[in-house]
Amino acid sequence: MRDPLPIRALTYGLLAVFVLMVAVPLFWMLTTALKTNKALYEDFSYLPTSPTFEHFVRVVEREDLLRNIWNSFAVASTVTAVTVFVSAFAAFSIVRYRYRGREWVGRFILFKYLLPTAMLFVPLYAIVVALGLGNTLKSLMLTYLTITVPFCTWMLMGYFRAIPAELEEHAMVDGCTKIGALFRILLPLSAPGIVASAIFSFTLSWNEFLLALVFTSDHTTMTTPIKLSMMVVGDQYIWGQLMAGAILASVPITILYFIGQRFVVQGLSAGAVKG
Amino acid sequence: MGLLAPTVAILLGLILYPFFYAIWLAFSDKTIGNPGQFVGFRNFAYVIAWPQFSAAVTNTVVFTVCAVAIKFVLGMAVALVLNQQIRGRNFFRAFLLLPWVMPAFVVYLVWRWLYDPLAGLINYALMDLGIIGGPIAFLSDRSTAMASVIVAHAWRNFPFYAISFLAGMQTISQELYDSAQVDGASRVQQFRHITLPSLYHIIGVVLLLTTIQTANAFEPVYLLTGGGPSDATMVYTMLVYVMGMVNLRLGEAAAVATLFLPLLIGGVLIVTIMLQRKANA
Repeated sequence: MRDPLPIRALTYGLLAVFVLMVAVPLFWMLTTALKTNKALYEDFSYLPTSPTFEHFVRVVEREDLLRNIWNSFAVASTVTAVTVFVSAFAAFSIVRYRYRGREWVGRFILFKYLLPTAMLFVPLYAIVVALGLGNTLKSLMLTYLTITVPFCTWMLMGYFRAIPAELEEHAMVDGCTKIGALFRILLPLSAPGIVASAIFSFTLSWNEFLLALVFTSDHTTMTTPIKLSMMVVGDQYIWGQLMAGAILASVPITILYFIGQRFVVQGLSAGAVKG
Repeated sequence: MGLLAPTVAILLGLILYPFFYAIWLAFSDKTIGNPGQFVGFRNFAYVIAWPQFSAAVTNTVVFTVCAVAIKFVLGMAVALVLNQQIRGRNFFRAFLLLPWVMPAFVVYLVWRWLYDPLAGLINYALMDLGIIGGPIAFLSDRSTAMASVIVAHAWRNFPFYAISFLAGMQTISQELYDSAQVDGASRVQQFRHITLPSLYHIIGVVLLLTTIQTANAFEPVYLLTGGGPSDATMVYTMLVYVMGMVNLRLGEAAAVATLFLPLLIGGVLIVTIMLQRKANA
């Protein structure tokens, strides 16, 4: 049944408003990066008149932004690899073994959700300095686990619960060890959950701001968000380069998201409903 | 059980220990390089008497309530539109998700540039349309700063509400709407009596999660205004950062964070109870 005309008009009218609302800032980010400084600060125009890539060249050559992007990448991929293993083991242990206190881990993860980073960053900073990790990428790799591991453990618990234990029991009857059953049965069957937790860990680490701001203090250890935010205060006429940098920082994460989109949506519902 | 060891180590060493350490800090006069001694409630008394703290309480509440309300209404409207039979629905769903997929720090830098008083798009567009006579310094004027931060934050975060509500709407059986239509129910009545009640559970989860996140937001304020002008956008996370990392007064920074914890937990409890009542009613 098709909708009556006024409803359709309203639907498409609202849709146009929403699309415009989302498109304008994105359009402005893209075109700012392509305009010359003269076009940005003297002759205002809505469309770029003589597009140029000079801001991209400058942000890479003068600001050495690739260094910071590489830092972000190193931190995010390390955190992701560690998180997936650690969370899969933890979720497996909680869901499949019976022992006292295991339900406390689940409760603690919820409690963690209530604990703001604003409360933890001062003590974490003290710990990082005490471990001799001040101003290193390792400090970020270590502390980001406090964000990713509880979240991914929680999500994977939802996935593992949905898979009947009989499958692993059969495999064990056939001579597989319990850990073997984890790797051969449970992990392949919950591959969407693993992919979702990997995407979450990578994205959270790539985007994290507060801890990176507190822990790192020079160009060689800064991740992309901190480097770009430092550039804002540095120069009045920085916006072309800044938007070029913003595009470089967004592209990998946006591609990653759209590749793994369906797993992420499933992952959200698995954690929320089955958890 | 050994499988759980790394996670337990992270939970105890990097979450529980820092949590208690933060509470101890709030009762001490520790600064960087000095071990610090127990000083009782001195930090709390000092912090509470400070005008910046009451500004932070008000600003955090205003920011959270307004931002959640805008994101909720916008997200619901977008979900309702995307739930209609429209052409290219998958494309529009992916497109309207973009603000939430992009890194938050990127979004706030883009908005800072949009708001720029000298060369920003918003000022040019408003002047071209004849709405304003001269440029407005959105982020450095007391009367516009908070609203500007809220708008940027809502722009970045409404898609999460939209996809969550849309996922819920797609599980509602079409038959319910068909029979309501036969009974002559209007669209508004269908929304109130079919769509909304079916979404109570999802609305509850989304509100709970995002209220906590919004109250703890740091990036929009840090990247747009830094808490200014004259504390007009000073939310509590920004105050903790300024006290701890700029003024290096760790005890007072921890005291601010500790004072806000019961407020956050209380807020969460109120939302949960209200939602349960609504669901049972």
